[in-house]
Amino acid sequence: MRSLTLTRLVGIAPLLIFVAMLAYIGFNAPNFFTVTTADLVLKQSIPVVVVSLGLAIVVMAGGDDIVAGGIDLSIPSTAALAASITALLVTNMNQPLIVGLLAALAAALAIGLVNALLVTRINMTPLLATLASSVAIVGIASVVTSSRRINVTDPAIVFIRDGCILGISADVVLVAILVFVAFHLIHRTRWGMNMQAVGGSRDAAEISGIPVKRFLFSSFVLAALAGWLAAPFVLARGSGVSPGVEENLLIEMVLATFLGAAFSPRRVVTLWGAVLGAILVAAVSIGFKSMGVNVFWTGLIKGSLILIVVALAAVSSRTRT
Amino acid sequence: MTHAALVMKDISKAFPGIQALDKASLEVRPGEIHGMVGENGAGKSSIIKVLAGIYRAESGTIFVMGKPIENITPEAVHAFGIRFIHQELHLVPHFTVTESVFMGQETSGPFGLRSRDMRRRAESFLKETLNASISGGALIRDLGPAERKLVQIARALIDGQARIVVFDEPTAPLSSDEIAQLFQAIRALKARGIAMLYVSHYLKEITEICDRVTVFRNGRDVARFEQITPQSGGELVSAMVGRELGELYPPRGERTVSDAPVLALRDAGDGALFEGVSLELRAGEIVGIAGLVGSGRSAVVDTLYGLRKLHAGGMELDGKPVRFRSPAEAVAKGIVLVPRDRRNDGLVLSMSSAENINIASLDEIARFWLESRKRAHIRAERQIADLDIRPVDPDVIARNLSGGNQQKLVLGRWLATDARVFLLDEPTVGVDVGARVEIYALIERLVEQGAAVLISSSDPAELIGTCDRILVMMRGRIACEVDAGGLAVDELVALTTGANGEAA
Repeated sequence: MRSLTLTRLVGIAPLLIFVAMLAYIGFNAPNFFTVTTADLVLKQSIPVVVVSLGLAIVVMAGGDDIVAGGIDLSIPSTAALAASITALLVTNMNQPLIVGLLAALAAALAIGLVNALLVTRINMTPLLATLASSVAIVGIASVVTSSRRINVTDPAIVFIRDGCILGISADVVLVAILVFVAFHLIHRTRWGMNMQAVGGSRDAAEISGIPVKRFLFSSFVLAALAGWLAAPFVLARGSGVSPGVEENLLIEMVLATFLGAAFSPRRVVTLWGAVLGAILVAAVSIGFKSMGVNVFWTGLIKGSLILIVVALAAVSSRTRT
Repeated sequence: MTHAALVMKDISKAFPGIQALDKASLEVRPGEIHGMVGENGAGKSSIIKVLAGIYRAESGTIFVMGKPIENITPEAVHAFGIRFIHQELHLVPHFTVTESVFMGQETSGPFGLRSRDMRRRAESFLKETLNASISGGALIRDLGPAERKLVQIARALIDGQARIVVFDEPTAPLSSDEIAQLFQAIRALKARGIAMLYVSHYLKEITEICDRVTVFRNGRDVARFEQITPQSGGELVSAMVGRELGELYPPRGERTVSDAPVLALRDAGDGALFEGVSLELRAGEIVGIAGLVGSGRSAVVDTLYGLRKLHAGGMELDGKPVRFRSPAEAVAKGIVLVPRDRRNDGLVLSMSSAENINIASLDEIARFWLESRKRAHIRAERQIADLDIRPVDPDVIARNLSGGNQQKLVLGRWLATDARVFLLDEPTVGVDVGARVEIYALIERLVEQGAAVLISSSDPAELIGTCDRILVMMRGRIACEVDAGGLAVDELVALTTGANGEAA
């Protein structure tokens, strides 16, 4: 009985750490627990939420073993490339936004296809395959933008940044709809259940007549799609695109997704977990900012948090039988 | 005359160098539990793989309810109502019972999955057809082994189309209580007229549950028993090996047992799975540990080998207190383990027989720190001949050996060292009768050479047949110690299950 409680404790420890941190921030930062801050936190979390949906899907389809299971590190770079292509076409070439987004979609799908082929046909480990492709994607993005900032002032992008729908920030509403659709697809359909089965046990899925490779393949395409979907929000938040936008996204995406496992009663990566994880990470970042913590320290703090969360996940999966 | 549910007629299948099946035939009737037995390599798995559509037979026909299956593919076989309960569970630990039962065959409506409906169907199927109350919302990882097996069976049968069910070693991970639970479910299926093919190494179970039995040998069905009684075991064994098997267990040689224990536990506990355990292993004797799954006997073995930490009490080696922080420290003191999961923990499956044998004694064969390939090969060849490992080829990859030969390989590796204490955890699980005899003889040889041997086993006959004395564990404690000489199997079973009302 004692060891069981200990396992539970280790499982929810990442959550406790975050709640404790929020409480600490709340005591020390003035006006932290207000509606304004809540809106700020949600807005801040948005690009991370969208890319985390993609990563959660890949992890759920590939299994949560970080080395051998499913992981896609190229989603943030895909988002950056998609934003760059859109910005280039809209601002530098005076094309309508829709043209820019469609071109970016084509690029994102190509990336998804390449990742999927690397993993399912060439049998590369997803970690290495997507690490390599993410470097290449960032390279393409800097070629596209000549490593320069591009401003975007398209009214639709401005609306996403500043607009309101029914009194709620427009971007928050749009992402909420996106999350709901993704949740339904993954947790409430046959297709989604089968995909989770593939991630849970490839052998079990195969025996049950589920086409394992097809689901793995689709998960990487969906992940790239999530990268593309994040692009308009990346553009809205930055009023354009700057080089290096993917770096922060990458760290927060990994942190949010695996932190999310602590929210799930089954201790596995889920879409809801990833979304809540992203919001918590944003809350902590904003909290530190409003407490006046030096920006240079936040990198170290986030890095340590990833380590703690992943280490605790490893401990809890080792202690459970 | 009614049709047999399943007829396999004159099935032949050859692999390069081996005739795996040679005009083998099989017949299973509706509502019958039909046993299939044979040593490893007799053709049991081959004929099942032909039936599953995994192997394509060169000749022969399969009839289901009198109708031939034209094109034998996994899909066609499934459509004919044939289902397989594989030895591996193939379940996802974090899935619920309902999700597992409906994996790959979920029902959905316009608003997504019909979760409530599926749960109700899963629960009522488990209840009514398999006679088990398991909540549809429970997670697989919270279930016991028998319940997991029932979930696996429910998954195969939930669509209601099953007419023939093939069980492949269904009881492998189960204790005797759990086997009883499984058998209850299998008998419930029989009452529904489902034909079942039951493949197992455990003859006791075969004689307990099967109506008829077909014996395989050398790729052929060599005998069919129309009547099976609990006493049929001996006849089955002779049919399997094709000769009278005098004794499964070797005669006891002269054993000189040392007075002082080599390795001992004093009132030891690991803080979780066992406590207050004291035991002594002496040179020249075989001590057994009996107990159900979960009784703590595997944890005790792991602790002696440094795989688990000692929290309370102490361990002594040659009378001096000792503590192993890792298996490497135990091995350095001459204590070795033959693990229960030999495929994952015991062997490097991708390496050859020779490499696996030599892996524990590289120091000895290394010259100037470099492995001498020639010496390694000579040593390995000697061991392979000595242990009668088939095929007699040091370069064959361990993955391709049968279970019995793999186990001989693991034992052979330690024989090549100067180990003094042998810890054997389930040494003959999944090993055919012929190889078991050889493994028991090997163990006997070890003790005669003065080794101390500890056998942890779920097979009471094995413990009685090989050990000098047996410690019975129950719920993490040693319930009693008995002398193996003259002990009857059912007496030992009664002790391990607490059937005679002894306090746990």
